[in-house]
Amino acid sequence: MSKVWENIFKLRRKQTDEIDNILVKIPIFQDLNSRELNIIKRILHKREYKAKENIFNEGDVGLGMYIIVRGCVRIICDQENQLLAELCEGDFFGELALLDEAPRSATAVAKTPCVLLCFFKPELLDLLERNPKLGSRILFKLAWTIGERLKSTNEQLRALSGPDRQNESKS
Amino acid sequence: MNDKSPSLVKIALLSIAAAAFIIFLFLIPDIVKLVVIAALLSYILDPLANLLESRGMSRTKATVTIFLGIVMLLVIFYLVLLPPLFEQIKSLQSGLNPEQTGAMVSRLENVLVENLSFIGVKDLDLAGKLQGSMAHAGEWMFSHVLDAASLITSMILIPFIVFFLMKDGREFKRAFVGIMPNRYFEFSLYLLYKLNAQVGNFLRGQFIDAAIVGLLAVLALWLIGIKYFFLIGLFTGIANLIPYFGPIAGAALAIIVSVLQTGGFEMALYVILAFTVIKLLDDAVVQPVVVAKSVDMNPLTVLLVILVGGKLFGVLGMLLSVPIAGFIKVVVRESIINYRKYRAV
Repeated sequence: MSKVWENIFKLRRKQTDEIDNILVKIPIFQDLNSRELNIIKRILHKREYKAKENIFNEGDVGLGMYIIVRGCVRIICDQENQLLAELCEGDFFGELALLDEAPRSATAVAKTPCVLLCFFKPELLDLLERNPKLGSRILFKLAWTIGERLKSTNEQLRALSGPDRQNESKS
Repeated sequence: MNDKSPSLVKIALLSIAAAAFIIFLFLIPDIVKLVVIAALLSYILDPLANLLESRGMSRTKATVTIFLGIVMLLVIFYLVLLPPLFEQIKSLQSGLNPEQTGAMVSRLENVLVENLSFIGVKDLDLAGKLQGSMAHAGEWMFSHVLDAASLITSMILIPFIVFFLMKDGREFKRAFVGIMPNRYFEFSLYLLYKLNAQVGNFLRGQFIDAAIVGLLAVLALWLIGIKYFFLIGLFTGIANLIPYFGPIAGAALAIIVSVLQTGGFEMALYVILAFTVIKLLDDAVVQPVVVAKSVDMNPLTVLLVILVGGKLFGVLGMLLSVPIAGFIKVVVRESIINYRKYRAV
């Protein structure tokens, strides 16, 4: 009997460790201590998706971000049926929806069976109301993450436009 | 066709399940009544619990603190406000003894006959009619309102349900969203988020509005010098939950008492003036500030809703029918608007 309990606790601990290890790698939650991380874990939704199942569709109102615990996700542009990105364990997507209720700009499809953690705007707003200190730290890190992504997009654009500019100046 | 058949079967099954659930709710009206009242109260108290949580309390501690606060308020109410309330009820009972009531009613009858004889008002026999209606009212009060057993059960069960809804409300919501299929998961959360904001604002607004109007009515009637001013003010505040009919019912009661008290219409004019000012203040100042989004209902709908509420759930049903109908209207309206918005493209 005690072995059964031990196994149950081991399994639970293993799952908790797995989620902890993923969360500390996400920039938004990086600087949080274990107590704060536990508060965050309580407001995350854990969802399981089958392979080829849609996580969200292009045009749906975005409500928050998804963190991949297990599996891989493909981000596809519906109109051109173009693969924009393939994300795997530890990656996250859709974080802009935490700030803006604009429609999703692409469709996310599970490439393999996936386990995702979902962090949504209602929970972030609720956290800001109940625990303003922790909520504002997460908002700050979210702004920082989005800023970093903007910088990297700018650099990519510069790199792409670099050869064009050189060609333009030659002609 | 193959694609459509399963969804049609699903819709049919869901409709049957929903119908069965609604029938089940109608079979247990007393429990539904308790849960609805508890849910309304927990909605009203929720921001207070959030505020205490933001000051560093756990949810459980915040809920316990609010309950202790309510107990303290009830004790204050018991010590300060209950004695005058009982006094008013006692004096109302004594005021209704056959001799005094007979004298007051005949005085009112004389005033009416004197002033309204030109439209053919002659022999009204108000005393006889009042006696008959009072006998029926007494029976009705005991069978509908003063059911002591159900009152005690409600007084124990409602706080109990409110406590757990406040403490574990988030977990209930998470559990509900958790059972949603992946396809509707984000939308259901989005809808709950929108509904929570709309419905919460609506209910809290209605509650604050009723409290302010009730207080203003108590103050105005006390200044005018009407008997039972506290009881009538309390009734006016609660009746204010019912649009159109509520304010009129409060004013009518105050006018009747003023005429019975003085035997003339002079005080009634002050009452009409006071209630007009309160109504104007409510419409121009209180409602725009506290009631975030009004739920417009035409008078016929309000009347039907009150009748249905009264038929199904008695006096309480009549009082709460309009806020609950407003709640259902907000839920349906927001569901449709947000579904369209969510699936906009």
